[in-house]
Amino acid sequence: MDIVGRGVVVFAFLYVLMRIMGRRELSTLEPFDLILLIILGDAVQQGLTQDDYSLTGAMLAVGTIAVLQIGMSYANFRFPRLRPWLDGQPLVILQDGKPIEKNMRRERLTVDDIAEAARKEGIGKLDEVAWAVMETSGTISFIKKSDS
Amino acid sequence: MTKRSHVKEVAFGRRNRPDVADLPHRIVLKNHRDLEGRAHRIWYRRGAVLVLTVFLALGAANVFGQRPVGHTVSTPAASLELYAPTGLRGGLMWEARFTITAHRDVKNALLQLSPGWLESMQMNTVEPSPLGQASRNGDLFLTLGHIPAGHTYRLFMEFQVTPTNVGQRHTDVTLYDGATKLIHLSRVITVYP
Repeated sequence: MDIVGRGVVVFAFLYVLMRIMGRRELSTLEPFDLILLIILGDAVQQGLTQDDYSLTGAMLAVGTIAVLQIGMSYANFRFPRLRPWLDGQPLVILQDGKPIEKNMRRERLTVDDIAEAARKEGIGKLDEVAWAVMETSGTISFIKKSDS
Repeated sequence: MTKRSHVKEVAFGRRNRPDVADLPHRIVLKNHRDLEGRAHRIWYRRGAVLVLTVFLALGAANVFGQRPVGHTVSTPAASLELYAPTGLRGGLMWEARFTITAHRDVKNALLQLSPGWLESMQMNTVEPSPLGQASRNGDLFLTLGHIPAGHTYRLFMEFQVTPTNVGQRHTDVTLYDGATKLIHLSRVITVYP
């Protein structure tokens, strides 16, 4: 019982934490981010299972997280009104090669960040881009101008 | 998305298409570029960050325990200082230090600890070992023996919190000289999950 309750609290806390951290942090996986992710997992594990080394405890903890994740996924699918809250919404950050400063500030993005993401997509100049959209996953999608 | 809202969104997209070329499918400028109806949501995120920061500040300020604090009660016969945390969390190892200073000869010092001291706590050690241990009306009695006037007796107890031991417990301490009560220290310990 206790471990299931802890699983619910940890899941809720991590979900809210991931939402407030913003998409950019979620999408980038630089070496330091990877280390942080491992530390985060380790810190969560201590609070989740504590001194329970049993197989039953592990199954209860993992099962709780899995069921909650399925529940969130179903709520996201079934109730469109919840999607902006659960998953967020795409954000247009560049139009016709011009960055939209207000929206970039919102996600703590710089033009350099967009240019870097564009280069990864094989786009040399932002002028070639008709639209850049920051997706709910934190990745940036680029739609090139039709004549480029 | 419901059929009606989908139709609305498509219609809105069409209205906006003449402005810019190649508007990506299901991107609605009003919503996804101009942030109509969602501009204020950034404040929810900022509010949540603030709440998280306050939570961390409270943790740093020892609200959720671990750091020991001292409580001293003094009478003409003796003084008792208890140095131990009042807030703990599941699994933490912690120490309680009892310092008894005899102002006059205490012939047979007895320390009475209420059950909250040991309820769902692992007691790792007591140093120095008391001369005797007993249970009276559910309380733990430790016989410390003779403490001459002007001398100090220091007792260390090491514990670990059982993770499921969540809530508040009374951890009162009473010092006796034989059957005579000398000092009573009332105290509550809070165990956070």
